[in-house]
Amino acid sequence: MTRGRRRMAARAGAAALGVALLVGACGGGDEVDVDNPEGDGATDDPGTGGAEAPEGTLVAAISAQPDQFDPHRTQAYASFQVLENVYDTLVVPDAEGEFQPSLATEWTTSEDGLTWTFTLREGVTFHDGSPFDSADVVYSYRRIIDEQLANAYRFASVADIQAPDAQTVVITLSTPTPALLDNIGGFKGMSIIPEGVAETTDLATAAVGTGPFTLEETGAGGVTLARYDGYWGDPATVDGVEFRFVSEPAAALTALRSGDIHWTDNVPPQEIEGLEDDEDVELGVTPSVDYWYLAMNQTRPPFDNRDFRRGVAYGIDRDEVTEAAWFGAATTNQTAIPEQSVWYHEYAPFEHDPDQAGELIEANAAASPQPMGLMVTDEYPETIQAAQVIQAQLAEVGVEIGIEQEAFATWLDRQAAGDYDAFLLGWLGNLDPFGFYHAQHVCEGTSNFQGYCNPEVDELLNQAAAETDQDARKALYDQAAELIVDDVSYLYLYNPDVVQAWAPDLEGYEIRPDKAINFETVRLPE
Amino acid sequence: MTRYVLRRLLQSVAVLFGVSVLVFAIMQLVPGDPIQLALGQQADPETYAALRERAGLDDPVVVQYFTWIGGALTGDLGVSFRTGETVLSLIMERVPATLSLAGAAILVALLIAIPLGTISALRPRSPVDWFASLSSQAGLSVPDFWLGILLILLFAGTLGWLPSAGYTPLTEDPVEWARHLILPAITAGVSSGSILTRFVRSSVLESMGQDHVRTARAKGMRARDVLTWHVLRNALVPLVTVGGVQLAYLLSGVVVVEFVFAWPGLGQLAFQAVQSRDYPVLQGAVLLFAVIFLVVNLVVDLAYARLDPRITYRSAR
Repeated sequence: MTRGRRRMAARAGAAALGVALLVGACGGGDEVDVDNPEGDGATDDPGTGGAEAPEGTLVAAISAQPDQFDPHRTQAYASFQVLENVYDTLVVPDAEGEFQPSLATEWTTSEDGLTWTFTLREGVTFHDGSPFDSADVVYSYRRIIDEQLANAYRFASVADIQAPDAQTVVITLSTPTPALLDNIGGFKGMSIIPEGVAETTDLATAAVGTGPFTLEETGAGGVTLARYDGYWGDPATVDGVEFRFVSEPAAALTALRSGDIHWTDNVPPQEIEGLEDDEDVELGVTPSVDYWYLAMNQTRPPFDNRDFRRGVAYGIDRDEVTEAAWFGAATTNQTAIPEQSVWYHEYAPFEHDPDQAGELIEANAAASPQPMGLMVTDEYPETIQAAQVIQAQLAEVGVEIGIEQEAFATWLDRQAAGDYDAFLLGWLGNLDPFGFYHAQHVCEGTSNFQGYCNPEVDELLNQAAAETDQDARKALYDQAAELIVDDVSYLYLYNPDVVQAWAPDLEGYEIRPDKAINFETVRLPE
Repeated sequence: MTRYVLRRLLQSVAVLFGVSVLVFAIMQLVPGDPIQLALGQQADPETYAALRERAGLDDPVVVQYFTWIGGALTGDLGVSFRTGETVLSLIMERVPATLSLAGAAILVALLIAIPLGTISALRPRSPVDWFASLSSQAGLSVPDFWLGILLILLFAGTLGWLPSAGYTPLTEDPVEWARHLILPAITAGVSSGSILTRFVRSSVLESMGQDHVRTARAKGMRARDVLTWHVLRNALVPLVTVGGVQLAYLLSGVVVVEFVFAWPGLGQLAFQAVQSRDYPVLQGAVLLFAVIFLVVNLVVDLAYARLDPRITYRSAR
């Protein structure tokens, strides 16, 4: 549930708007006529709430239960699946990862890059009816910073937040931060809540957002959302959304086939092949911004030796690992940023080469054969499968691997304490290259658990973080990425696909690379 | 009798205290830091420290224990690390689901066990007996997980008669409640039913060999009446004990069944609490399980005395 950095990003405003208009134009007339028959189709499902479910409620089965609904506190992907539909941020990324207006309609950056001025949308109301203005933005951001909530680090370079008038917010930075838009709009963890609401409402169980849906009811078995008629954008097409928590994929897929539910993300990669030919199920597969890697503890010999790590990199056949862990539903990559991103840099120096691997390892290992503990967690079963393949591959080049399977809580403990030789894990949902590289690879980075330190990389990453020219910035990140790959700070493996399934005639749903799910423009099958 | 009840209550309090210390100690010893887990990989040291302090994890362990048990005595079980809700409300939210499931499962178990156990006892070593012992062996060996999935695939998938997963509160829609209940109840009831079948069989067998049964038969009483009035009545008294223990077991949450059927019960709550190292929730849940076991055992013992006049607790002095 709480994998590393579970970041979510908002729906593509413009793109979805287009879909909404299109859908509205095509099916508007029908919708009125078949309102009742359509409702019948949805409600004769033996789903929870059955007969009482309002007409036109989309039923989605998600694989885990949200921990809480406070967007500033939760780290769980399951929570963001719900919150995505309830809250808004100042800006949202579109399908290309470019930021578009949401609660802010426009923004300007000062020459020196230190002052950002946002103009806010007018006529927006929160779900409790109160109007939205700049005081709400200041309150939301100050809450994250002052209470040191989980996302406080995103405001590390923020010196001050001011509201000169009701429609304007000015953010002053201590150092230029081109990633600021990603930091405030990359996912719903940076949502805007009404001023003072945390003192009067328990945000863990209730939500007061500006999004297309209101949080109606939360329970142990599911969560219900209702359309918010006062939404500032086009109102949602469905009356509501019911999220059910179904952890067992067989149950979720059966429910989808029999029409109990309309949508699920509970599709293990090994099911993909079978579902492709299934007429009762629409399968959505798209490359994600998720990346998975192996990290070696560079404070321990022989992993502190760059050439040894390079030997390991040559010894791994990424294609085989990807096939085993994801049944092919992933794209191998030797850097972090996936091909589809504008920040992608093609760089792949490590062909699978057992001979070279063996030589490098033999020359640089302290003892032979060199045992290497590889820490994995059952929280992410793909790490276990990948580890088994890597174990077999590295055995051929003289590295003996001991797979250490831990509960995720223990795993994180050991990672934080540096008590490991190597581990496998992934990061999800970065849009800006800052998120892909900075905290993980600068010497003092908060997520640099592998103990990597290269002053040249530090300089490049720090420069890139403050560079405001997009092309110059990309050039800096490309250089840094090459060094990181060459030094094997992380041994990058692959970018997995997002896999979701829905009812064949569900219209208007768009699967997204950042795994954000938004049901605003969805139309139910009849 | 009153003396006995009092003594049992005192014992229960002592057991509960022991359980609470044990649970608390185990949670402290288990590796895995809840705050680390909540923050994931990007734990910024300052945020981490702030959260730890807020959760009271920086206090000495003894202080933490007494804060918790002191609260528990007044009904305050603390606040979940994960959700921020009170543990009591989290538990109460799940009690109806677990009660439904456990009740229905024990009903399924009895519906399997009493007829099957009785018939096989009446015809020992017959094909029926052979079938009963084989099927109870199978029922015990089949993993709940697998049985659950098979039932889902058959009744929800192929036949489409029942929903595959989920829960509807009884108060919301009794029909939907029942429809959702059937498959999980069968899944959970089969293993209990298998245990009880064997128990009923041996109990009935034993009862049939007793003097009063032979006497009744010798008097020329009809076989069916003998069975009803002399055999079953006596044979089923011990069933109260075993059935009670099974019920307590089911009530404390059939974790696997709840997982397969997305059933929002106590077992699922406890499972999630273990995963996220949510100490307050897990401690609260375990304490509740202990209370359930103790209460059920007490009730069973008292009921036993009512059902079987030979048992008296006066001699317990």
